[in-house]
Amino acid sequence: MAAKAGTTPATYSPSPTTNNKKKNRTPLFSDVDWVRPDGRDFHQCRPAFLRTGAVNAASGSAYAEFGNTKVIVSIFGPRESKKAMMYSDIGRLNCNVSYTTFATPVRSQVSDNKDISSQLHKSLEGAIMLNTFPKTTVDVFALVLESGGCDLPVIISCASLALADAGIMMYDLVAAVSVSCIGKNLVIDPISEEENHQDGNLMTTCLPSRNEVTQLTITGEWSTPKIHEAMELCLDACSKLGKIMRSCLKESASTSQE
Amino acid sequence: MVESAKGMNDLSSEMEVDAFRRLFPLRFHERHLLESVRPDARPLGKARDTSLALGAVASADGSALAKIGSTTMLAAIKMEVMTPAKETPDEGCIAIEFHMPAICSPIVRPGRPAEAAPVVSKQLSDTIVSSGMLDLKELSLVSGKAAWMAYLDIYCLDADGALFDAALLAAVAAFSHLQIPVVSLNDDGRIVVFSKESEGEKPKNKPVNEEKRKLKLRSIPFGLTCIIHKNYILADPTAEEESIMETLITIVLDSSYQLVSLYKPGGPALAYQPIIQDCIALSRQRVGELQTILNEAICDMEVD
Repeated sequence: MAAKAGTTPATYSPSPTTNNKKKNRTPLFSDVDWVRPDGRDFHQCRPAFLRTGAVNAASGSAYAEFGNTKVIVSIFGPRESKKAMMYSDIGRLNCNVSYTTFATPVRSQVSDNKDISSQLHKSLEGAIMLNTFPKTTVDVFALVLESGGCDLPVIISCASLALADAGIMMYDLVAAVSVSCIGKNLVIDPISEEENHQDGNLMTTCLPSRNEVTQLTITGEWSTPKIHEAMELCLDACSKLGKIMRSCLKESASTSQE
Repeated sequence: MVESAKGMNDLSSEMEVDAFRRLFPLRFHERHLLESVRPDARPLGKARDTSLALGAVASADGSALAKIGSTTMLAAIKMEVMTPAKETPDEGCIAIEFHMPAICSPIVRPGRPAEAAPVVSKQLSDTIVSSGMLDLKELSLVSGKAAWMAYLDIYCLDADGALFDAALLAAVAAFSHLQIPVVSLNDDGRIVVFSKESEGEKPKNKPVNEEKRKLKLRSIPFGLTCIIHKNYILADPTAEEESIMETLITIVLDSSYQLVSLYKPGGPALAYQPIIQDCIALSRQRVGELQTILNEAICDMEVD
């Protein structure tokens, strides 16, 4: 039983197990009328804090904080593609998302998040003018410092801000928002606790000024009218988020001029 | 190389500064050293502006964000419970890991970890363990049954030289911010977080560590990395300086100015006694500065 020196003994977190929480919480969420854990209205997003130029070593970068969800995205390049890559007339986009070990309430081991990385890739590639950097690759690397719900939408919005900071040509910024369906209610920009109890989730990433959707992901249980309602909610929130992102870029441009 | 100092005068007057810096980086820097100044306008022995913020990560038990110039480190501690080893039933354990994620530097790519990361990781755990800053007995919960395992993870968010110094500063700051959760031993022999709310429901077991929520930190270690180049000593180098002048020496002193470690990993320049003494003098000065910065950060935290 005794752990030998050098090997790490098995450890466990003393915080209460999630099973207990679920039993307590589920009836509350299934009610028609309940209060969100952070006191927001159902259709109210968390306050967003956005800043460009977080990492000096990168060609462009951005930091985004939506409630407890904190993300840094760095852009490198356009730089030489990997040697093994075939010749390409248009540029390549390489996305990677990683989490810190302390991002989640229970310490997690480092894992590669291929699914999130590929979703990030899919939602960005439609917005970038890949023909402006032929033969080369732009790297989009994201690190989730703290995961507090809605990680992917925050990563996507933050990445498009970082791309703009790096001077990569885009048709428009990409804003992403997700909505959870919990019982009879739709809640926008859910936190982790709400995401754990959701029946369905809808995420929209769109180009706000062109009113074009680059990605729409619907998972779980939905009815058609609910999907329409959720889409409306998301698109409206995306256009508002787009404005905040634009003002963040303007601000950083004006401070760098001074 | 000696006459190059003359030759470059002519070249440098004909070229743009940026082009000269890229084409002849060594001459560019040596030209500065002659004037006892560095490209970022620092004198040779001066470290960059340093800032420290405690409690940056809400989901951790202790955390700190340290910035030296552009180099940024985020350290966080998560406490977990383990069964102590048979030889040391009254001691907890610390596990220190240093990460360089792909966001921090153009050299690091996902799936291909930076060479520097495991080196700094080892250096950090050696330094923290050998400095005697922590008493592992304080991490004990129930003798022979349960003890704390402190997972300290340090992430480099922006790499611009002197990684070890910044990582060590973030690490010691995270330990000084650490607030150990109050726990109790439940009927199954597992340690669980003690919560006041559930007290009313049924008689709970007593907390086992109520008066041991903060670790006593003795003799906190601080580090300073210097470049040795010819007769010059450059304190707290940037990534550019580290890539051009390759001989580094890292000195760690504790808060009472005792030498904890001295690390000179090879390099073309040799370190002679007077140079090492000069480096130690610089580190003494730096330890004073860092101590003030840490104390201010702790005070700021207490006011909030």
